[in-house]
Amino acid sequence: MAPLKASGYWLRFLTFIFMWIGLAGSLNLLTGYTGYLDFGHVAFFGIGAYMTGVLMVHLGMPFFPAMFIGAILAAVMAVIVGIPTMRLRGAYFAIAMLAFAEAMKQVVMEFDRFTGGGNGLSLPIYTNYLFFYYIMFSTVILTIGVTYWFEKSKFGKALMAIREAELAAEVSGVNTFRCKLVAFGISAFIAGIIGGIYAYWMTFLYPGDAFNVLITMRMIIMAFLGGAGTLLGPIIGASFLAAVEEVLWAEFKYSYLIIVGFVVVFVVLVLPRGIVGLVKEKARVK
Amino acid sequence: MFTIEILKIYKVKKNFGELMALNSVEVTLNQGDILGMIGPNGSGKTTLFNGISGIYSLTSGEIFYKGESLKNKSPHVICRLGIARTFQIVQPFSQMTILDNVMVGAMYGQGLSLPQGRDKAEEILRFVGLGEKIHLTPNEVTTKDRRRLELARALATDPEVILLDEIMAGLTPTEIDEALHLLRKINQKGITIFMVEHIMKAVMSISNRIIVLNYGEKIAEGTPKEVAENPEVIKAYLGERYV
Repeated sequence: MAPLKASGYWLRFLTFIFMWIGLAGSLNLLTGYTGYLDFGHVAFFGIGAYMTGVLMVHLGMPFFPAMFIGAILAAVMAVIVGIPTMRLRGAYFAIAMLAFAEAMKQVVMEFDRFTGGGNGLSLPIYTNYLFFYYIMFSTVILTIGVTYWFEKSKFGKALMAIREAELAAEVSGVNTFRCKLVAFGISAFIAGIIGGIYAYWMTFLYPGDAFNVLITMRMIIMAFLGGAGTLLGPIIGASFLAAVEEVLWAEFKYSYLIIVGFVVVFVVLVLPRGIVGLVKEKARVK
Repeated sequence: MFTIEILKIYKVKKNFGELMALNSVEVTLNQGDILGMIGPNGSGKTTLFNGISGIYSLTSGEIFYKGESLKNKSPHVICRLGIARTFQIVQPFSQMTILDNVMVGAMYGQGLSLPQGRDKAEEILRFVGLGEKIHLTPNEVTTKDRRRLELARALATDPEVILLDEIMAGLTPTEIDEALHLLRKINQKGITIFMVEHIMKAVMSISNRIIVLNYGEKIAEGTPKEVAENPEVIKAYLGERYV
């Protein structure tokens, strides 16, 4: 996968795709496997990003430990916010998480002594873009590995049972509440790692960007486009959408988002189970 | 005969706001019983099952399993203690295979590993007659098979008491006979059965005792014959033509 002679443009483009695969994959663990649609997933990306930034800027901590602590914090926050919100189902959980992400943005604005607030936060500059390419790629490997584990393990089967019929899972002996919290924590941890890498890569953080609700929307669209609750879904969804956007953006500078909107609506209407779902159905018919 | 009390329901009340769904219900199950529960719609049968399996908390009263109170225990804990249940409206894990459905019960209900759970689930699926269909999903089989699956998932948790909520509804007479045969085999394994059933012929023929609920109160208890001849039961439930 090494882009030996890749130009800056391609390196950046592929790194972005890896980032989106990781993010869509992180959401997929919670939404696709456990059945909890999360409209505030960007919160964990933002927490990871800001914690990494704050530790590097104010404590002079090296990148890797800072990123790791940021991801741990994201996971811990998921468990804390999950204790009340994971008792809710469906739209109620989704809306509660939307509010949580907005609240986290305000917290970052408020603690401007550390975070820079509305002025943003500048991180130490590191311009080895190949480094970011590889590290973002390794988050893709991590996400695929965790998803594969969900797919094949005892724990994963409990999560899928919760997604399909939570009460039946509970009376079959599954500690549904604990399983959901663990899944939420793992999902948030991955989003937190990616947030940390993003922070160091971009070298500048702004609350409105790091907690942008559009990031959540893209994760959701990508996961569902490819096929939520499947191993390959987020990879296909993220690559497809990113590629379509890139092509359209080059051709239609001003109207490409409208076309992207139509493409998404079309795919959702025609392929309710995503691209992977379509392929699976075709395979079954044979 | 020497009997062991396995489940004791003591003065159980459950209110939903103003509505009294269960009023001081007392039931005792002995080990090896097949206890039938009948009563008109809305008489509190499913509410009682939900109380036993920990889905609802009781307004007052207490339930004891082998002498241990089930108060404030979550449904998954109650399942692991040895009380399994099925749902009136089957709740399969639709996008998982039949084998995976039952494996969830085996792995989490009795704490088995994945390979052990798979062996156990295959064994139970053969026992209930789904051995050939383990790789299908619940949507690809008939209503009868989905009922069997519901039963298999409950059995996979290795229960000592199983609560069956109308598992025969919608079955043909032949299928009912098959189901009764299966229930007897389950009972012969030493599993105590507590079942809600609307099909009189079935519940009368298999139960060694029957209780009758009406408006949340237990109005009768006894052998099938005693219950069928009880005037209050006839009035409340069976209808005038049985008098």
